[in-house]
Amino acid sequence: MPGLGTTLGRGGATTAQQDLANADAILIMGSSMAENHPVGFQWVIEAREKNGAKIIHVDPRFTRTSAMSDYWLPLRAGSDLIFLGAMIRYVLEEERYFREYVVPYTNASVILREDFVDTEDLGGIFSPAETWKYAGDDESGAFDSGHRGEGQGTARTTAYPERDNTLQHPRCVFQVMRRHFARYTPELVEQSCGIPREKFLEIANVFTSASGPEKTGAICYAVGWTQHSTGVQTIRAAAILQLLLGNIGRPGGGIMALRGHASIQGSTDIPTLYDVLPGYLPMPTSNERDLASYIDKHRAQKGWWYNLDKYIVSLLKAYYGDAATRENDFGFEWLPRLTGDHSYFGYWLDMADGKLDGLVVMGQNPAVGSPNAKLERAALGKLKWLVVRDLVETETALFWEDAPDEIDTEVFFFPAASHVEKDGTFTNTQRLLQWREKAVNPPGEARSELQFMVALGRRLKAMATDAPRDAALRALTWEYADEDAEEVLKEIHGWRVSPPVILSEAKGPLPPRVIPRDSAESPADEQSRRASAGDPSPSSRLRMTEEGAPPPPVILSVSEGSQNATAVAAETLHSAQGDGDATAVAAETLRSAQGDGAPLRHFGDLKNDGTTACGCWIYSGVFDGENKANARAPHGRYAHGWGYAWPLDRRILYNRASARPDGQPWSERKALVWWDEAKREWVGHDVADFTRGKAPDYKPTSDHGGDEAIAGDAPFIMHPDGLGWLWVPSGLKDGPLPAHYEPLESNIRNPLYAQQSNPAANRMERPDNPYASSPDARFPYVLTTYRLTEHHTAGGMSRTLSHLAELQPELFAEISPELASEAGVSNGEMVRITTARGSIRARALVTTRMPSLDVDGERIHQVGLPYHWGGRGLVTGDVVNDLLAISEEPNVKIFESKGLTCNLTRDM
Amino acid sequence: MNRITGFFTDATLCIGCKACEVACKEWNEVPADGYEFSGNSYDNTGALGHSTWRHVKFVEGETSIGAGGMMPELMSWAFSSDVCKHCENAGCLESCPTGSIIRTEFGGVYIQPDICNGCGYCVVNCPFGVVDRRPTDGRAFKCTFCYDRQKEGDTPACAKACPTGSILFGDLEQLEKVADARIEKLHAAGMTDANIWNPKETSVGGTHAFFLVRGDAAQYNLPAKPEVPLTALKPAWNAAAAAAGVIFGAAVLGFAFAGRSGRKWKIEN
Amino acid sequence: MTTPATYYNQPLLKPPVWTWEVPVYFFVGGAAGAASVLGVAAQFSGADEELVRDARWIALIGAAVSGPLLISDLGRPERFLNMLRVFKPQSPMSVGVWTLAVFGGATAGAVLLPYKPLRSISAVAAGATGLVMATYTGVLLGVTAIPLWKEHAHFLPVHFGASALGSAVSLLELRGHRNGALRSLGFAAATFESAADFALEQKTPMLKIAGALSGPVPFLFRLFGKRKAAAAATLLGSLLTRIAWIEAGKASAADPHVALHGSGA
Ligand SMILES: Nc1nc2c(c(=O)[nH]1)N[C@H]1C(S)=C(S)[C@@H](COP(=O)(O)OP(=O)(O)OC[C@H]3O[C@@H](n4cnc5c(=O)[nH]c(N)nc54)[C@H](O)[C@@H]3O)O[C@H]1N2
Ligand SMILES: Nc1nc2c(c(=O)[nH]1)N[C@H]1C(S)=C(S)[C@@H](COP(=O)(O)OP(=O)(O)OC[C@H]3O[C@@H](n4cnc5c(=O)[nH]c(N)nc54)[C@H](O)[C@@H]3O)O[C@H]1N2
Ligand code: SF4
Ligand code: SF4
Ligand code: SF4
Ligand code: SF4
Ligand code: SF4
Ligand SMILES: [Mo]
Repeated sequence: MPGLGTTLGRGGATTAQQDLANADAILIMGSSMAENHPVGFQWVIEAREKNGAKIIHVDPRFTRTSAMSDYWLPLRAGSDLIFLGAMIRYVLEEERYFREYVVPYTNASVILREDFVDTEDLGGIFSPAETWKYAGDDESGAFDSGHRGEGQGTARTTAYPERDNTLQHPRCVFQVMRRHFARYTPELVEQSCGIPREKFLEIANVFTSASGPEKTGAICYAVGWTQHSTGVQTIRAAAILQLLLGNIGRPGGGIMALRGHASIQGSTDIPTLYDVLPGYLPMPTSNERDLASYIDKHRAQKGWWYNLDKYIVSLLKAYYGDAATRENDFGFEWLPRLTGDHSYFGYWLDMADGKLDGLVVMGQNPAVGSPNAKLERAALGKLKWLVVRDLVETETALFWEDAPDEIDTEVFFFPAASHVEKDGTFTNTQRLLQWREKAVNPPGEARSELQFMVALGRRLKAMATDAPRDAALRALTWEYADEDAEEVLKEIHGWRVSPPVILSEAKGPLPPRVIPRDSAESPADEQSRRASAGDPSPSSRLRMTEEGAPPPPVILSVSEGSQNATAVAAETLHSAQGDGDATAVAAETLRSAQGDGAPLRHFGDLKNDGTTACGCWIYSGVFDGENKANARAPHGRYAHGWGYAWPLDRRILYNRASARPDGQPWSERKALVWWDEAKREWVGHDVADFTRGKAPDYKPTSDHGGDEAIAGDAPFIMHPDGLGWLWVPSGLKDGPLPAHYEPLESNIRNPLYAQQSNPAANRMERPDNPYASSPDARFPYVLTTYRLTEHHTAGGMSRTLSHLAELQPELFAEISPELASEAGVSNGEMVRITTARGSIRARALVTTRMPSLDVDGERIHQVGLPYHWGGRGLVTGDVVNDLLAISEEPNVKIFESKGLTCNLTRDM
Repeated sequence: MNRITGFFTDATLCIGCKACEVACKEWNEVPADGYEFSGNSYDNTGALGHSTWRHVKFVEGETSIGAGGMMPELMSWAFSSDVCKHCENAGCLESCPTGSIIRTEFGGVYIQPDICNGCGYCVVNCPFGVVDRRPTDGRAFKCTFCYDRQKEGDTPACAKACPTGSILFGDLEQLEKVADARIEKLHAAGMTDANIWNPKETSVGGTHAFFLVRGDAAQYNLPAKPEVPLTALKPAWNAAAAAAGVIFGAAVLGFAFAGRSGRKWKIEN
Repeated sequence: MTTPATYYNQPLLKPPVWTWEVPVYFFVGGAAGAASVLGVAAQFSGADEELVRDARWIALIGAAVSGPLLISDLGRPERFLNMLRVFKPQSPMSVGVWTLAVFGGATAGAVLLPYKPLRSISAVAAGATGLVMATYTGVLLGVTAIPLWKEHAHFLPVHFGASALGSAVSLLELRGHRNGALRSLGFAAATFESAADFALEQKTPMLKIAGALSGPVPFLFRLFGKRKAAAAATLLGSLLTRIAWIEAGKASAADPHVALHGSGA
């Protein structure tokens, strides 16, 4: 989620659903929270019932969420950025922004470079990325977040830019924004979103009133925003709005990114993504040969990412254990390298072109769930083999039944254990890790992912040859029990490992070298010291041992405070030389004597010298002896003591901003964390998302690095300047500010720029992934897709259960009475929906909840389709995703499922 | 002395998620009720019955740009979770010839599945069309008020699953107070079409499951003046007695005067 | 705001689940009950032995058939006896089942008991319960939530009673009895049924036919002395009457308006 990642620092929801209950206004847009996050929605209702909060839902349809809201505004699918841009303009022009917050906490006052040219002057295109940086920013090659931005805006920029706190300087971010959004007017909203001017102004007033010392407002969104070719910038716009209103880091404020599958947040934290390592560490590219160059490229001088070296080294130690040493760059060379676009759609198109032999599908049903599913099913047919691990035989597992004769893909189906049939954690939508205990044994042959993976790993390691290419496989630590999820969580949390010390085989005393745990000496100078000590390089020996001879050296681990133990053991060892077992035994005793493998407290303990191992630094803290994900004693306003939220159990991110620059709460009502002068630390209802003892008046000097370079009144600690980024100087592919572009398929001309659609988006257009032209008379209607409470995504988990299937037995298209009469269909009749890709049948559900709108002086009709149906299960239906195109939003490479063009006719 | 429990189901808090409907089926192992698309908003299970003991109704009004469903002036889309009313005077219970239907210590109306013989009389004796005979089983079924859970001191499955507190379970008297307070609040907020459905003034004598709805309760299939069939008992038996008297009288008189004459006139025709 | 007066026109009430056995039982049981009454009346008026015997046999056979009919309609026939675990005066069906039980025993006694006095006593018991058998089915339908039945709760017992009397008379006549009492009772029943048919508003087609067959048609036959034809019509009408009322009940249950607003629409 680089939208949040770049703007605020971390790509996660800034708040917790429980905190919505403290809001004075809640804008739900691009989400039908009541339908898709019904349990969390209780806190929206609580806000409405307890503090009379105003609930606003902006959605093309009147949904179950609209039904629970005070206000509902329908809009043309794909016009969100116009709406949000107009909100931002409203805030700027009507001076609704929270000045006391904006000036110190955001980069509104920062002066920009002269050579930046805005979309206003380039017909919808920004001047090159180089020009987005702050004035006087000498840093070169700010790296693009891309998927990394899913997590953190790790972009580097000068920490102490030139600022104008009067916000008057023509090149300060504030003024540049005013000019950029000048044409995002209420009139434009009326013309292009289809929302009457005065209705927009009413809502704008209602929401922006939830701002200032006494009040806060929250924004909830989900894939109604993300699944657009402008998804990231739409979320950016929301973040800008919240920063301007002073609603980030404060109770009842924030941006609630409502995520998808029960642990989808978890699978971005410890990613199933091709270009990120656990904890949002960037995946090395082919030109990042050694650790040093990797660290040099990605480590920030100022702000939290200064610690990147500690995190990557600890990760390598977790991967490769003792085989990861200073001398071999902790096995950095063994990491895979990025060689191109191996994103989801990248490899599906390769598959369609016959470039892939095999595919392992775990917990996914692309034959139904993925865009241009027709193409994806065809692609599966090009494989030699396909492995599917699922609870049920999905359409993906049975795709070959479409044409058993043509397809000769060999399909292996592994029944999987469900979440109630195995231990483990979910990381929920608010970064909260919650432990799950196994309730029942899986049926029949079903196995958990962990069991499967452990067994697979063992087999692979057993197959490893001496060939160099298998070095990583050989080095990989894999001493897991068959199925012990806690063991894995411990590794994720991290532990101490002690620096290796070589006792030469030669007899005679050799003092064990002791490295005190706190010494931050860098790999480099450690190396030189070694050399001078004439200490033989262990790596060379290691390589020798790989070739078989001579006998392995004894590698000991030493840790501070255990020198004596070490010495003793060392002695034993000398005498024990030759007797392999005794050696091993003694070595073991020694390791334990040195507290080796002891858990860390949290990522604050991580080191860059190989003395710590950690599977995912942001999670470090979850298992400091006890499994905090399994904590079940909630207390306080934010239920601390129930589960564990990363980072460090902070429930509201950037909560330093809930206090004034001087450290005191903005108001009693909205107090969250504040500076306790007596204790000299931050205290309050939440764990401060700030260095505990750093006083509000702390001022760094330019020679400070890392977190010490962040001032005591700078809440956005992930950023080098500690500020919230209204303006994103680097880290995004499409621009430093959000700009509205029409969906890749739209019959509406971009009302703002000559540039019709997002120039950075990848249409992936090809004969089997065609697009309608914009406009296109063949496809006069707007099509959008979404979910129903009654089903789950591609339906494998709902169409197979009678209790759910009967609630929504058939695919339907929601259309307005107007469109119904235009197409000559009545409620319940069959209709055919057609796009440039395909054509499907559905029942017509005629309702005023799906209104036709006045856009550009025309009446536009929208067609709504829930996408849960496929050919298997108790209830079946056509695959909506046969209608969609494969495309990539520039930053996260997501497709556009919301807002394309279609035709709808009565089906005889 | 056991507590008398009840359900207060508040449509203004219902998000139509149907968790109650599903939780009920899960807990009580109620089978599927057919896979028919109705076209009636999002409701495809239609009504309460032998295999649907909780049923969420979707009532669509008009929509208007700017107005959310909580706008006091306009009811655009309302959801209400229906259930056996557990009547004070329960037609089903009174009519059941086997005594299978009983009133539990919690005031609920409960069908003992081991006694019901499927005579079907309760089916036509429920003024709310709740109970029905399951063809595949032969017995009559309806909401048990989770008698099994209540005996364990647990909340009924449906109320437990409700994420929004739309279904409140508890002390009947308490709930009625809560409901009154709720109505006051909503009316104060201008939502004057909110009203409580609980037929206390009728022969049903009130229900243990009562509802807060917006607008005419009839559009939620809640009858304005339900009557317990028992009100017809007296007139019907009186009529029967009269009829019996007349038949008996006529027969006796008939035979007294013309009875002997039988064999004499043998009129062939 | 448009307020639909119903919920998508979905029925509020559930229709009766009863199958064909029930109306047939209503007919048979009613006729048997009335027959036993005639038997008693004849017995005391000292009418000919044959008529009394035939009346008792009709009652016995009717009772014998009723049981199986009732049982086979149950969802769980093997649990029929649960009907007798309680007696609930407020439940017409409970009253009915108990009545049938006693009636069955009595009719059997009236035919099978060794000594005549015993048979006579038993016959009296049969006659007494027979009166209930002839009329209670009207109560059974009347005391329900089905609007049409409930509206006619005061009428159905009389209607069914008269119809039962008519069928009993007809059965005896078809056995060849030419008794003046039967003749006048036949007339009485037909007359009442004609009046009933005339009085009844909003009739379904089947109710119309049933009404005609039970009232006017036999009345006219009787006027012209066509006893057997009249008898046949009466029996047919009487059976059809029960079927028609149950079918009409289903239709009534399917219409949400009456049940919701207490008024047709
Ligand atoms: N019951 C249930 N819950 C779920 C899921 C499920 O399948 N079933 N799926 C889970 C997953 S994987 C996810 S990702 C989340 C998704 O949660 P949501 O994002 O809430 O899911 P959607 O229904 O796809 O989209 C939300 C709303 O976006 C609206 N919409 C469509 N186009 C536009 C547009 O252009 N602009 C705006 N503003 N709104 C638009 C739709 O009408 C819809 O009401 O839900 C999760 N929760
Ligand atoms: N048109 C349109 N398309 C969309 C969307 C949209 O809004 N509109 N939304 C998109 C979004 S946000 C998402 S997340 C995708 C979802 O699309 P998919 O992920 O392809 O669909 P799911 O049905 O969620 O697939 C999950 C599968 O995992 C299985 N499963 C569940 N638990 C386990 C387990 O523990 N182990 C294993 N091995 N399998 C398990 C389930 O049975 C199910 O078949 O759909 C996307 N597609
Ligand atoms: S399914 Fe699970 S995650 Fe989704 S709303 Fe319900 S409880 Fe929450
Ligand atoms: S609602 Fe019907 S089933 Fe429920 S108690 Fe009342 S009469 Fe019985
Ligand atoms: S069907 Fe069962 S519960 Fe209903 S009345 Fe008959 S015996 Fe009682
Ligand atoms: S109380 Fe129990 S049986 Fe009744 S509806 Fe709720 S869950 Fe179902
Ligand atoms: S669970 Fe609660 S909110 Fe959901 S439908 Fe039932 S009553 Fe409504
Ligand atoms: Mo998702």
